[in-house]
Amino acid sequence: MTTTPTATSTDVRTRLAAQAVEATKVYGSGPTAVMALDAVTVGFEAGRFTAIMGPSGSGKSTLMHCVAGLDTVTEGRVLLGDVDLGTLSDRDLTLLRRDRVGFVFQAFNLVPTLTAEENITLPDRLAGRRTDPDRLAEVVETMGLGDRLAHRPSELSGGQQQRVAVARALVRRPDIVFADEPTGNLDSRAGAEILQLLRRAVDELGQTVVMVTHDPRAAAVADSVVFLADGRIVGRDDDPTTASILERTSSLGG
Amino acid sequence: MLFLTLREMRAHARRLAGTSLAVVLGVAFLTGTLVLGSTLRRNFDDLFAGAVAGQDVVVRSETLMEMDSPRGLIDLSLVERVEAVDGVAHAEPEVSGLGQLLGADGEPIGGMGPPQLAGSWTEDPELNPYRLAEGRAPERSGEAVVDRNTLERGDLALGDTTTLLTPEPFEVTIVGVATFGDEDGMAGVTYTGLTLEDAMAQVTGSPDGVSSIAVRAEEGVSPEELAERLDAALPDGVEAVTGEALADEQMDEIADTFLDMMLAMLTTFAGIALLVATFSIYNTFSILVAQRTRQVALLRAIGAGRGQVLRTVVIEALVVGLVAAAVGLVGGLGVAALLTALFDLAGFALPTGGMVVTASTVVAGLVVGVVTTLVAAAAPAVRATRVAPLAALRDAEVERTSPSRARAVVGGAVLAAGVGLTLAAATSEGGNVAVAGLGAVLTVVSAVVLGPVVARRAVAVLGAPVARLRGVPGGLARENAMRNPRRTAATASALMVGVAVVTLFTVFASSLEASLEDTLDRSLASDLVVNDGAWGGGGFSPGLADELATLDEVEVATGLGTGEVRIDDDVKSVSVAEPAELARVADLGVTAGSLTDVGDGRIAVAEDTASSHGWAVGDTVEVTFVDGRTEELAVAATYEVDDLTGGYLLPRSVWERHALQPTDRMVLVDVADGVDLDEAEAAVTEVADRFGGPNVEDREEFTATMTAGVDMMIGVVYALLALAVVIALMGIANTLSLAVHERVRELGLLRAVGTTRAQVRSAVRWESVVLAVFGAAGGVALGVFLGWALVETVSAATGNLGSFALPTGTLAVVLVAGALAGALASVRPARRAARLDVLTAIASP
Repeated sequence: MTTTPTATSTDVRTRLAAQAVEATKVYGSGPTAVMALDAVTVGFEAGRFTAIMGPSGSGKSTLMHCVAGLDTVTEGRVLLGDVDLGTLSDRDLTLLRRDRVGFVFQAFNLVPTLTAEENITLPDRLAGRRTDPDRLAEVVETMGLGDRLAHRPSELSGGQQQRVAVARALVRRPDIVFADEPTGNLDSRAGAEILQLLRRAVDELGQTVVMVTHDPRAAAVADSVVFLADGRIVGRDDDPTTASILERTSSLGG
Repeated sequence: MLFLTLREMRAHARRLAGTSLAVVLGVAFLTGTLVLGSTLRRNFDDLFAGAVAGQDVVVRSETLMEMDSPRGLIDLSLVERVEAVDGVAHAEPEVSGLGQLLGADGEPIGGMGPPQLAGSWTEDPELNPYRLAEGRAPERSGEAVVDRNTLERGDLALGDTTTLLTPEPFEVTIVGVATFGDEDGMAGVTYTGLTLEDAMAQVTGSPDGVSSIAVRAEEGVSPEELAERLDAALPDGVEAVTGEALADEQMDEIADTFLDMMLAMLTTFAGIALLVATFSIYNTFSILVAQRTRQVALLRAIGAGRGQVLRTVVIEALVVGLVAAAVGLVGGLGVAALLTALFDLAGFALPTGGMVVTASTVVAGLVVGVVTTLVAAAAPAVRATRVAPLAALRDAEVERTSPSRARAVVGGAVLAAGVGLTLAAATSEGGNVAVAGLGAVLTVVSAVVLGPVVARRAVAVLGAPVARLRGVPGGLARENAMRNPRRTAATASALMVGVAVVTLFTVFASSLEASLEDTLDRSLASDLVVNDGAWGGGGFSPGLADELATLDEVEVATGLGTGEVRIDDDVKSVSVAEPAELARVADLGVTAGSLTDVGDGRIAVAEDTASSHGWAVGDTVEVTFVDGRTEELAVAATYEVDDLTGGYLLPRSVWERHALQPTDRMVLVDVADGVDLDEAEAAVTEVADRFGGPNVEDREEFTATMTAGVDMMIGVVYALLALAVVIALMGIANTLSLAVHERVRELGLLRAVGTTRAQVRSAVRWESVVLAVFGAAGGVALGVFLGWALVETVSAATGNLGSFALPTGTLAVVLVAGALAGALASVRPARRAARLDVLTAIASP
């Protein structure tokens, strides 16, 4: 069952931050080969918050890794903006990740020996650039990290660590932010906080966020939800609520 | 990225300290050697410069045999001719030679390393490097001046009467105490100064010959100019050299004969230590990189390039290398002192003053330390760049564990080549040392390459008894040692290399001893041997043999001395004896002619020497002696067994016509029939005591004395290798510490389900033992094979060094020591593993 696209989504469709076209990913070879993605075509609109949902083994993480340039597709194309990732060398992919993509992972997001501020500015340091102080202040303000900047990760709570990770992902104004189960390791209160921060990043800072999750309540925060099963897109919900998502996932057997 | 690297290093300082220690020790050994080298060079330089101080020019014979043997004599009457030369302020004849002074206990003072000198006391204070500190110069026959150091060592004092062996016993009264410049003595040299007449009669035994003429130039005449003028005025065969040139010459000589060799040996061992350190560093960096996989992946995911990742590891290695090398440099001073003490202990007194640290030593230490670390860290650094960004998202897989097929193939090929070359060289006629060396290197390399391939199986076998006997901890130990063959092999490789070198030397030494024993057994027929020890003291008078021969208890007593001559323009070492008498107490395996025919004007030559020169019995050999004269000697016998006498055997009658101080190194004594051996030994000892108390030993004791030399050498080698083994063990300890760190959760889980602290400790300890035994066993196997090859090759190449002997006892000790050392290396990591708090361990990421 497909929901009718809402008016807003049709209007902003003009620009896609990232898209996969007929993307296929096969792990291994011969009889043990596993098809993680099966000719997936999907687009992620700029300035919107998209969630990717699906049961374990549905290929949702693989899809994100391929679109983010962390992994390569076996067949098909992946475009970030108008750059075809398949044509890039490792070096160019690295530079692309550094300059145009932000990441938030489920765990081990921060370098333990660096302070919160140093972790946030790490991508700029890697690029040999100084972080714009205004942008840093803006992000730190949005993430509510003002009094935590000098702390090491071990001195921060799980939620605070994840907020530092989000700040790091945002500080360079990336074209797109990928979040991989960002609330997976957090209690429900801290998890909800992170989701709200990602929401504000989209609404207030105009960022594009793509989040992989298996939690319907998390997905409900997004503007759209893409459903995956067995490596294929099986649906899309452009007005997600926890209830509508639950309904969909239960029908998918996830 | 620098800030990140430095931050990481500070956070893991403890882990890095373990790595650094290997570099510190290696560099310390190297710089210690270099410091010792420059210190000795400087001290010898000072010494020789001091010894000729004030002597602008020295006039001496041109005849020279070996650098360190005395020159021929020059005529005393030349003094007048020298004095007549324009520009000579003063000239004084000097006699110098060897003389052992007996201490209050009747034993010769000194004798190991620095020479025991006796000569004429130079009256002109400016020409004499010695200064009178107490008493007066010798005026009458039988009076002597002795340096203060020697007096103290011999427990003698001004006014005492003692004996000087030149080597004939000569009674002297000490009338003066001398200092060498401001020093109490000249670096262990014993010096006895006599009147010129006494010195000529006793030391050189010549009525009109002196050793040299010391010359002082007039004001305004340069030594070089004076030397030239003197040269023009002197007859053929006599030359004039400046004091400065003489000092340089002596410096070159000590460098050639001793210093360079010693330093080369020490540097070799420093190299071995550094090689072992390289394995250790490689291993630590591999583990550090593996443990950082997730972090590297995270950095890669957020935009760090491969180059940046490579740089973090390289910078880390650079800093570790630099810091460790700097610490090692400081430690090198301690090592230099330690090495000096070690040589002292082994009986070589080295002249040491203040330590000399040259700029080149500092540079060499730093460069070697940094380069070693960088080389060792290169492979792990490259491996770090291969970490995929995705690894940040997966559960960290710690290290690739299974060795590749390529490794097995390459390793197998290198092994085949190495073993093949070694075998070919060892079994070939004539033995090819270079090929054997190449084969040995390839074999060692293949062992290192193949380590990971065989590690899992080898450790499984070695660990099986542990698992059976020690229950769960034993099983865990075995499994842990098996789970990462690359790491296991790299850890064990360091120990393997160290143990292989130890084993190689052990095998070589035991083969050397065995063939020495074998030779003495075959060739020595005498009941007693009078000798002056394995290292050779100053020898003793041939009069001892003559006097012993007159004893009722003695059937035959014949002396054996050594000397140098020139044959075919080469300096050769010859043995001096009464061949006919020698034949009665030693079996030289005569192949042609007869030793009884080797009388005046004749010579006996070893079979090998004869055949290489194309000589046969009846041919004549031209021999030049130290006095510059040449004799044609007829070959009267050839013999096979050359261990006792070397390549040439000269009759005493020929030798004594030319030699300066005929000396015996040993006397072979055959006890008369029906006389008790102990009784005879007592009688012989009584006489020997009057000749400076050389050792009187029966065959067994003598064999032990000769092999004691080998034992002492191998002792020094062991001490030098100890460092490499210590570094290897530290490598094991470090690896285990890192492994414990990495297995924190697993250890916590074990504790949570009821493993006791003691069991955790036991598991770590036995893992260490299994690792150590793996390395030690590999090293012993490698060392035995290479030792066998070395013995066979050298014996084929030189004809010496009979047969390979396997020192099973010693090798068993090496293995057991390896196991114990493994247990020792595990103490700290095991304690740390056992102390883990269960909850934190499980909670840790």
